[in-house]
Amino acid sequence: MSTTLNERLGGRSIVFGDDVNTDVIIPGRYLISIDPVELGSHAFEPLGPDVQAKLAQSPVVVGGRNFGCGSAREQAATCLIGVGVKAVVARSYSRVFFRNAINTGLVAVECPAAVDAIQEGDDVWVDYAAGLVTVGDQSYPFAPFPPVLQEILEAGGLIEHLMKKFAKEKN
Amino acid sequence: MNLVEKILARASGQESVKAGDVVVANVDRLVMHDLSAYLTGKVYDERIGKDLPYPDRVVTVFDHHFSPPTEQQADVLNRNRAWTKKRGTQLFDCGSGNIHNVLMQNGLALPGQIVVGSDSHTPVHGAVGAFAVALGNDSHAGTVMPFGKAWFRVPELIQIELTGELQPGTTPRDVALWLVGQLGEGSVIYKALEFTGPFITSLGIWDRWLFPVLCVDLGAKCGYVEPDDVTREFIEALPGGRLDLLLNGDGDPVEDVRRFDVGVVPPTVAAPPTVGNVHPVDELVGTPLQWAELGGHGGGRLEDFLLAARVLRGRRIHPDVKLNLVPGSREVFRQALELGLVADLHEAGGTWFPPSTGSNQTANMGAMSEGRR
Repeated sequence: MSTTLNERLGGRSIVFGDDVNTDVIIPGRYLISIDPVELGSHAFEPLGPDVQAKLAQSPVVVGGRNFGCGSAREQAATCLIGVGVKAVVARSYSRVFFRNAINTGLVAVECPAAVDAIQEGDDVWVDYAAGLVTVGDQSYPFAPFPPVLQEILEAGGLIEHLMKKFAKEKN
Repeated sequence: MNLVEKILARASGQESVKAGDVVVANVDRLVMHDLSAYLTGKVYDERIGKDLPYPDRVVTVFDHHFSPPTEQQADVLNRNRAWTKKRGTQLFDCGSGNIHNVLMQNGLALPGQIVVGSDSHTPVHGAVGAFAVALGNDSHAGTVMPFGKAWFRVPELIQIELTGELQPGTTPRDVALWLVGQLGEGSVIYKALEFTGPFITSLGIWDRWLFPVLCVDLGAKCGYVEPDDVTREFIEALPGGRLDLLLNGDGDPVEDVRRFDVGVVPPTVAAPPTVGNVHPVDELVGTPLQWAELGGHGGGRLEDFLLAARVLRGRRIHPDVKLNLVPGSREVFRQALELGLVADLHEAGGTWFPPSTGSNQTANMGAMSEGRR
């Protein structure tokens, strides 16, 4: 699940609207699990098998405003990782979803201009160090992540980042 | 500095902080329910594993399963029990109440403290002037449990000033729901909300409770009421209630103030699918319902049962309606017993359930079938 800056991040996109609730992303009855792959098989289940099939082919999830609102469940981020999502591009996030995404190593960027431009199925590429979302031959800027967030994402999440840091400090 | 800035400055060892700063602060309390505690404990054991330096700061409340319906769910509770024993943390077992009511009633969320939890309603503890926010399992396992710390971005402040007098037949909950309609769901993402004005200060703590509990629906990071004499009196009466950490904001002018007159608020209903779908009750009156419940993190207060009993005392509920009564804590149930509310609502046809979070996520109390509401 770790991402490196050398890898180009992105691919085909699936588009959702505003206020996507975490209970739609992963229904409460599956919260007993923290296995990303198992959770991934239930990601967006309330929207039906067609959406789920499309999601499985789409490394980029695009959302409107307030993506990931509602319950603070961390599995809303991990289930997306489990189903193969590499990045989320949204107009804005519910703050707990954003925090959970970074903590679990899921790239989540705010870029309203890119959201306006993306048609479902477009190839979308995200460079969080440079602060660019690329759609076709157009690029849309956003504030690049501060170094510490980049380090967390490169480590594959908060705990991996902290463990790596302590291992380094011990040596 | 405002209240949130003062709490974060003190807890991060700085003279002052301002909106937009990122600070690493000492956390006073971590609260988890049965599901989040199980997952967080598992992550902690597998990936970190050292002894907790501050076990007394970590509290678990079993509120989603007062009586687990499957062996798998019963096993989750047993693992939680074993974990809290091994790690020396505090546990409130099945039947204690809902996570936030239990925390408050036991003096474990206090003015001036930093309270975190993985439940989205954690900001409710702003009702007594705590800085209370929802984080996620990995923040808890990775930074709060092993170091007693978490990082926070200092939020910008919006003041919500409520003035005026309620119309007859309306209650503070009508105002809280109406306010979500006025402000809009997800309209104040990342912000801190200060609920202020003569209407708010006239309320007791359990009615103030109804405002910060809606932070998640508004998208806010946290919400609070400045501690005052009402707060002091309430906290002093709690077991373990302490005021030594209490802080107040400096009262600096706030750029973004939203003013509302509660005198225009009608009796208000939040209809499915989300809390922002609010309507005056006049628009919905006559809609058949089969399931009514007084419970959840915002409900199950003594105030809810007092209001229900005022309407239902000496009457019967409609035969098609099931009325679930779920006290927010054992203390609420004890007071309801003493006041005769348990008998009143029982006679009216309601069914009392153990103190818990009620039918939240259908773990405790069964599910509703399609088409029922």
